[in-house]
Amino acid sequence: MTTALPHTDVAPVASAKRRRRAPGWLAVLPLLVFTAVAFGLPAIAILDGAFTAKDATTGATSYTGANLTASLHGAYLTALLGSVKLSAISAVLGALLGLPLAQAVAGSRSRALREAVLTASGVLANFGGVPLAFAFVATLGNAGVLTMHLGLKDSGWNLYSFWGLVLVYLYFLIPLMVLTITPALDGLRAQWREAALNNGATGAQYWRHVALPVLAPSLLGGFVLLFGSAFAAYATAAAMVGSAVPLVTLQIADALSGNVLVGQENVALALSLDMVLVAGLVMAVYLPLQRRSARWLDA
Amino acid sequence: MARRLTPWRWAVLGLAALYFLVPLAASVVFTVDDPDGISFDAYTRILSTGGFVSSLVLSLELALATIVVVLLLMVPAVVALRLGAPRLRPVVEVVCSLPLVVPPIAFVAGIVTVLKWGPDHLSRTPLFQTFVAIQNPGFPVVLVLAYVVMALPFVYRALDAGLRAMDVRTLVEAARSCGANGPQALVRAVLPNLRGALLNAAFLTLALVLGEFTVAQLLGYQPFAVWIYNVGGDQAQMSVAVSVLSLLVTWALLLALAGVGGGRNRTAPSRG
Amino acid sequence: MTATTLEKAATEQAATVEFRGLRREFGATVALDGLDLTVRPGEFLALLGPSGCGKTTALRMLAGFEHPDSGAVLVDGRDITRVPAHRRDAGMVFQSYSLFPHLDAVDNVAFGLRMRGVRSAERRGRAAELLELVGLGDKGKRFPHQLSGGQQQRIALARALALRPRVLLLDEPLSALDAKVRLSLREEIRRLQQELGITTLFVTHDQEEALSIADRVAVMRAGRLEQCAEPAELYGRPATAFVAEFVGTMSRIAGTLKDGTVEVLGQRLPADGEAADGEVDVLVRPENLRVRADAHGGAQVVATAFLGAVVRLTVRLADGTEAKADLPAHEAAGLGAGAAVSVSLPERPVLVATRTRN
Repeated sequence: MTTALPHTDVAPVASAKRRRRAPGWLAVLPLLVFTAVAFGLPAIAILDGAFTAKDATTGATSYTGANLTASLHGAYLTALLGSVKLSAISAVLGALLGLPLAQAVAGSRSRALREAVLTASGVLANFGGVPLAFAFVATLGNAGVLTMHLGLKDSGWNLYSFWGLVLVYLYFLIPLMVLTITPALDGLRAQWREAALNNGATGAQYWRHVALPVLAPSLLGGFVLLFGSAFAAYATAAAMVGSAVPLVTLQIADALSGNVLVGQENVALALSLDMVLVAGLVMAVYLPLQRRSARWLDA
Repeated sequence: MARRLTPWRWAVLGLAALYFLVPLAASVVFTVDDPDGISFDAYTRILSTGGFVSSLVLSLELALATIVVVLLLMVPAVVALRLGAPRLRPVVEVVCSLPLVVPPIAFVAGIVTVLKWGPDHLSRTPLFQTFVAIQNPGFPVVLVLAYVVMALPFVYRALDAGLRAMDVRTLVEAARSCGANGPQALVRAVLPNLRGALLNAAFLTLALVLGEFTVAQLLGYQPFAVWIYNVGGDQAQMSVAVSVLSLLVTWALLLALAGVGGGRNRTAPSRG
Repeated sequence: MTATTLEKAATEQAATVEFRGLRREFGATVALDGLDLTVRPGEFLALLGPSGCGKTTALRMLAGFEHPDSGAVLVDGRDITRVPAHRRDAGMVFQSYSLFPHLDAVDNVAFGLRMRGVRSAERRGRAAELLELVGLGDKGKRFPHQLSGGQQQRIALARALALRPRVLLLDEPLSALDAKVRLSLREEIRRLQQELGITTLFVTHDQEEALSIADRVAVMRAGRLEQCAEPAELYGRPATAFVAEFVGTMSRIAGTLKDGTVEVLGQRLPADGEAADGEVDVLVRPENLRVRADAHGGAQVVATAFLGAVVRLTVRLADGTEAKADLPAHEAAGLGAGAAVSVSLPERPVLVATRTRN
């Protein structure tokens, strides 16, 4: 780690040690090498595999676009679109429901309430995966506590459905939105509200013409983050619905575990590439928005 | 302007509390519900169920290894960015953001493919032994590699936030003008000030590893999250009981962290 | 940079502002403890006081952001205490960061007109006019983060004037700026205010700022008005010891009061101010304290500070108290730290106050 230290001529210590200035990139090198191997190899494997076809009889491989084409047709396309639809709807709902909750907290004078809600959000935003699925199964599943007590079954309720998944996803998406948007709400300065009122704006006009436009990049950024999170989610869906709802993550898992026809691994890689492209698009939208809102709110 | 707890605020908070507390309460009810009344059988059975201890131990070992590796890689790098190599910042930033673009399921698909290269292409080279070694079921190093990659974005963000709050260069120069040598300056002046950020990073990594399901399941290992999934099939009550417990553990860890480090960055990796 | 005829129109209808018995408590702290104050039409009045004295609270009550527990705010005799903030005729400039970050300078200035439903072309024209007025005609397309602190405050000033308010409220608008900008902007605010003739309240904790810019200065302390007077009177004839010491530099020298005269530094001088006969403090401005080299004077210079035209000496008197004295630089030449001196006062009435130390 000494390599990263600057050399100081003015150290008043008697034995002023003169060090050769070791370049700082030596300290960064292990990280770069590590990611090149642990991340780079799988990434190359996805890219390579997505464009490779293996002849079942001869074992010879050749490059082809057939996998990608296949991944955008039939059941795979349905799954991809299903994932996009599920993520988009959950993200919109998560953003719309998270905003008022965050505002209820950010606008409150009570520090205790604020700390409690933010800490709870921190836990709940991480409460995804298998435990979340089981908690909802216990609550609203076929034998769930609420299902039984409220007789939901007769009214056609089914947790293992598209809207069931949306309901479950919101459980970690709303807290994620609260965590994302609260700093932005805190960044809304009291002076802006007062300056708006001073200029003859009503409370509603302040929200319409100042607060929401200023928050817009953060809101959109939050939505995009939620979308990415829902899109990548696998554990919850796997533990809850199996393959009752077509999702791209479930398709990839099926193909990898050999639950479907042999030789589908390359299609799984092509689907993975599709996902990477969607996620990349999400980040490409998110980062500039993040930067803009930081400029407005931290200045 | 004075802002009070207005009715709409109470309504919003009330509805939120309802939505977030009911599944928890219902889960607890579900686990203690018994034809004869209330029974904590589901909880007592956890310990005696095969695989509970071993999977939990495996998860904790993986978490510990991941935390050590990710911090050893990241701390020198981010400190160096502040001190000697600011021009590398965009590179590191991009490297640490890339894992966000590759969803875990896609990442594991890539890993599975790479691991197949072993038997397919490398069976006669020494590298093959490496491939076998990292897949040792007793302690799957490959999972540590994957988790370190998945933790990079969050660890980077946590450390960067911690470093931004202080002037590393001045700190190091002040320490050195007081007679500390390079490593001393780093260990005695910089790291103590990074304590909160290090704890934060460690917690985020811990949360990630304890809850990680996708990669472990598809690579065929059985750490804690996979174990819960596997027992869920035939022991519904107990799997819910474990879920409730795992939530409580996460909560306790986060509160402990908030108490120790005053952690700010609560956006832990989502693992839906 | 001249006021348009539109602006001049304001002069004829400059408003009178009255605070009547304003009282406001925040929990245990009393922000305003019965404030009575009248601002004359077209006057530039500075509200001066230490932080927490209630000056900002008073201003915010006029703007409608705070509400008094009791008392009333009147503009031209009309009680506006219950009028909501967005319907008051008062333009306000905040301490800092009050510009809307998503709007450029023109749209910031035109914001109020937009709220009133003024057509786009008309409000942009008016905004451009106002930007011209504050000397930023060429910065209309800039966003707040592209402007310096001083420029942002000018735009905030233009925005505050956009709706042609009857009263202009300035809440420490210069405190976030650096010294040089602060000086030039305060002169410009003053010039603009005189051109427009608009009744203006200016909150500040900087006494020099208040004295240099205002027609009258109201010194506040603990939610009450201590004195409201023109700057020269405030400085020369402070009504209370608090005003005397808050405005300008003031030294306390021990004296004995008897029958309206005070015995101080071996002199007997007529006394002003409220104090009971006996041991008192005489309040002395540094420019009024005379210092002369004198080996047997009983006083000693302990420190000197060069201030340009004058040198400020800190002198330890025979009884151990310290006093400040300003001497022209050439007179102070021989008086370094350690020099023995004698100290005297001019033969004029002095201000006395109750002894505060032992």
